[in-house]
Amino acid sequence: MNLEKLAKIIAENVECDVESINEDTTFESLGIDSLATVELVMQLEEELGYELQLDEKLLTVGDLLKFIAKKQA
Amino acid sequence: MIRTSICELLNIKYPIFQGGMAWIADGKLAGAVSAAGGLGIIAAMNAGTDYLREQINIARKITDKPFGVNIMLMSPHADEISDIVIEEKIPVVVTGAGNPAKYMKKWIGAGIKVIPVVASVALAKLVERAGACAVVAEGGESGGHVGDLTTMSLVPQVCDAVNVPVIAAGGIADGRGVCASLMLGAQGVQLGTRFLVAKECSVHQVYKDKIIKATDISTIVTGKRLGHPVRSLKTAFSKEYYKAEYSDISNDDLEAMAVGTLRLAAIEGDEKRGCFLAGQIAGMVDKEQSAAEIINEIFEEAEIVLNGAKNLIK
Repeated sequence: MNLEKLAKIIAENVECDVESINEDTTFESLGIDSLATVELVMQLEEELGYELQLDEKLLTVGDLLKFIAKKQA
Repeated sequence: MIRTSICELLNIKYPIFQGGMAWIADGKLAGAVSAAGGLGIIAAMNAGTDYLREQINIARKITDKPFGVNIMLMSPHADEISDIVIEEKIPVVVTGAGNPAKYMKKWIGAGIKVIPVVASVALAKLVERAGACAVVAEGGESGGHVGDLTTMSLVPQVCDAVNVPVIAAGGIADGRGVCASLMLGAQGVQLGTRFLVAKECSVHQVYKDKIIKATDISTIVTGKRLGHPVRSLKTAFSKEYYKAEYSDISNDDLEAMAVGTLRLAAIEGDEKRGCFLAGQIAGMVDKEQSAAEIINEIFEEAEIVLNGAKNLIK
C-alpha cells in the first residue's frame, strides 16, 4: 500500500479531492472521526485481503501508512 | 421469567447491566445491582488504582455474585487499571470511549470476559474479532459520551453484523424498553439513568432530584466541536457551554471549561457549575427505588408486555 493508492481510497470514502491528501493530512481535517477510522481500516482489510487488527490511535494518513507497513512486516 | 444467553454467559439472573457511570457507579451501587440479580458495574473512570481497589472491596462485601468494571480507555490510568482487573480477578470488563484491542489479549488470557461498548457496526466487528464475548451497542439517547446513531438503528445493525450477544443501551428505563431491545435482537439491556436514582446510589441528592424532575426534552448534547459529544441535563453550565461552543473561544479553553464539572455534579450537587449527565429517558424516571425494586419491576413489566404482544397477531 502506497500513499497514492491509500489517498485514492480515502478520497473516495470521504468524497474529497485526492490531491488534497498527503502523509501529514489528519483524519480530523478530513472529517473522519475515530469511529469512521475504524470503518476505513475495516474497508482497507478487504482491499488488502488480510486483517490489520487496529489497536492504536491513528491521527494522520502517514500514521495509517506506517501502521499498514508494520502489520505487513 | 425472562432469560437469555447473556444470563448463562455471565452467570446472572436477569439480562440487565447497570451502566458504568463515572463518579456515580461505585462499589455500593454495583454490589446492590449484582445482589439483585443484574450485572453491577464499577466505573474506574479517571481515578487511580487505589480508588478502584477500594470500590471492588466494597462491592465484594455486599455480594458474592459477579460484577464488572468499566474501563474508560481515555483515562490517563487506563494502563494500570488494565492490570488491576486481572489481579483482582474481575470476571467482566466493560470498556468505553475507544478501541480496547490493545488490552484484549491480556484480559482474555486471564479469563476475563470483555464486553466493549460500541457505537458503530465496524467497531463491533473489530472487537468481536479481537475476542469480545459480547458487545454493548449504545445509542445516542444515552447519557454521557454519545455516538450519532440511535439505539433503534444501531442495535439491529450490530446484531446482524456480529455473532456474539448484543446488549442494548440508550433510552431504556422500563419493561417496554427491555422488550423492544429483545425484539431488535439484543440479548440484554444496559441502563444508566434509572439506576442513578437507586437508593443504593451515593450520588448527590440534588442530582437524583434533577433526574426525577426531568422531562423528555430536558437533555442537551454538547462537546461536538471537540469530537467528544456528551449528553447532559440542560442546566446553567450546559447551556453556557453550548453557547461557548459556537463562539470564537479556543478549543483549549472550551476543554478547560468542562474539567471537574462531573465531580461537581455527582459529589457536590453544584447546580450552577456541575455537569449532570443523563439520558433522554430521564423524563420517565420518576422515583427513587432500591436496585432490587427497579430490576423486579422492569422484568415483571417486560413479561406482561411480551405476553400481550401475541395478541397483536390476528
